[in-house]
Amino acid sequence: MIEFRNLHKSFGTQQVLRGVNLVVNEGETLALLGPSGTGKSVLIKHAIGLLEPDQGDVIVDGTSIAHATREDLRRVRRKLGYVFQNSALFDSLTVGENLWLAQEDETGCRNIQDCASEAAALLERVNLDPDVLSKYPSELSGGMRKRVGVARAIASRPEYLLWDEPTTGLDPVNADTIDDLIMDLARNLGVTSIVVTHDLDTAFEVGDRIALLFDGQIRAVDTPTGILGNPDPLVRRFVRRTRADEAESPHRER
Amino acid sequence: MLTVIRERAEEGLGRVGEAVIMARDILRVLPHPRLYWTAALQQAYVMGIQSLPLVLFIAALGGAVMSQQTGAQFTGGLPLWVIGAVLAASQLTELGPLLTAIMLTGRVGAAIAAELASMRVTEQIDALYAMGRDPITFLVVPRVVGGFLVVPALVILADLTGLVAGWLIGVLAVDGLTTQDVVYGMRFYFRPWAAGFSLLKGIVFGVVITFTACFVGLQGRGGAEGVGRTTTVAVVTTTVWLMIMDVLLAPVLKAF
Repeated sequence: MIEFRNLHKSFGTQQVLRGVNLVVNEGETLALLGPSGTGKSVLIKHAIGLLEPDQGDVIVDGTSIAHATREDLRRVRRKLGYVFQNSALFDSLTVGENLWLAQEDETGCRNIQDCASEAAALLERVNLDPDVLSKYPSELSGGMRKRVGVARAIASRPEYLLWDEPTTGLDPVNADTIDDLIMDLARNLGVTSIVVTHDLDTAFEVGDRIALLFDGQIRAVDTPTGILGNPDPLVRRFVRRTRADEAESPHRER
Repeated sequence: MLTVIRERAEEGLGRVGEAVIMARDILRVLPHPRLYWTAALQQAYVMGIQSLPLVLFIAALGGAVMSQQTGAQFTGGLPLWVIGAVLAASQLTELGPLLTAIMLTGRVGAAIAAELASMRVTEQIDALYAMGRDPITFLVVPRVVGGFLVVPALVILADLTGLVAGWLIGVLAVDGLTTQDVVYGMRFYFRPWAAGFSLLKGIVFGVVITFTACFVGLQGRGGAEGVGRTTTVAVVTTTVWLMIMDVLLAPVLKAF
């Protein structure tokens, strides 16, 4: 379980999070929606200890992230996978070495050859050919880098996955592949996920529940059906407008 | 005005504190060589091979300048073998280590700072943390240990190159100077401790260059402009620290 308790975060004079309270249950996929720049990525970075809260705490699997020792934090992070918005692949390493770095402790493989078959299987799950293994990130397209980032995040077989805009910049086919992967990980492996997105299709497809972050606070948390029927004008406007935008440009990149 | 001074002082003290914490973290990792040994050797190899031609070229120029200028000033005043003694003393205790260190600051230090700053702004450092890996173990220690190993070796090679270049150019350019004069002067001055002092400076400078570059690089912020700014700060800060360490090491030579 991941629990955000009264989380506050400011950068200089800009107050981004203003007391976020949110619980993500075991095995659940929670889609986190909200306008751009509202602090969605900032929120999930607290769950993995990449940012320190000004006030409040995040409890991951019973461990307080704000008060964790270095060793506690390391232990918690081994249970978490993080898909970065811009992939954050190590550009001095090949795709295979990127995956190997995530795999080696968890799967017991000691070198790239040992890990190769597992790495190839990981790439297959995100619709990539195994010949990508020997390429450097700079030799891949943005969409391919994104999918390698996803493969790297799931390589360590995490219990929790934090997805930061996993389908942004992907074509519809590959976006569907990632959506299917999120659902498959939840269904078959019981992975708990938070999916930060502004793609309503993804949110409504993968989310057991949807949370809306507005102005640094959680405005609504409900099932997809509940969100669609939410009477809050702000929630209705956000959902309706985003859906209308998507209807107007059905062929755009997601 | 006072507020600005106070803010700058607080910022400076904060940086010192962060540097102390990074040094402590490095020391924690050092007793576990299996975590970094292969990467450190790779770093040492890359630093050494890539920098060697430049370091030797600059050392040769330094030695050539030293013998000619000493010759110009001493001709007619002091016996010419003094040129050999001055060449050996200056090359071993100052020119060899410092010129090498300054070249490595531009060549190796700038590259490390730019690489780490770029990793910081593209979230690669965050990705390491997210994977439960420690950037100090994975990135900093191999570079610092690599510098510790390779810079003294480069300094010794630079010393030898400077001495040979100074001798050859001196004999060609200074009227009346012979190989016997240069060799006599060098042997007159030479003490084993001078070579040891050169080595010591190489070790200290190697650590200063890599540590400072890593420290400043990891503080990188902003986009491409931020990486450029970080690299400049790293080169300037390292050069200042090299000069400070050079001054602090000077009494060590006197002690022997």
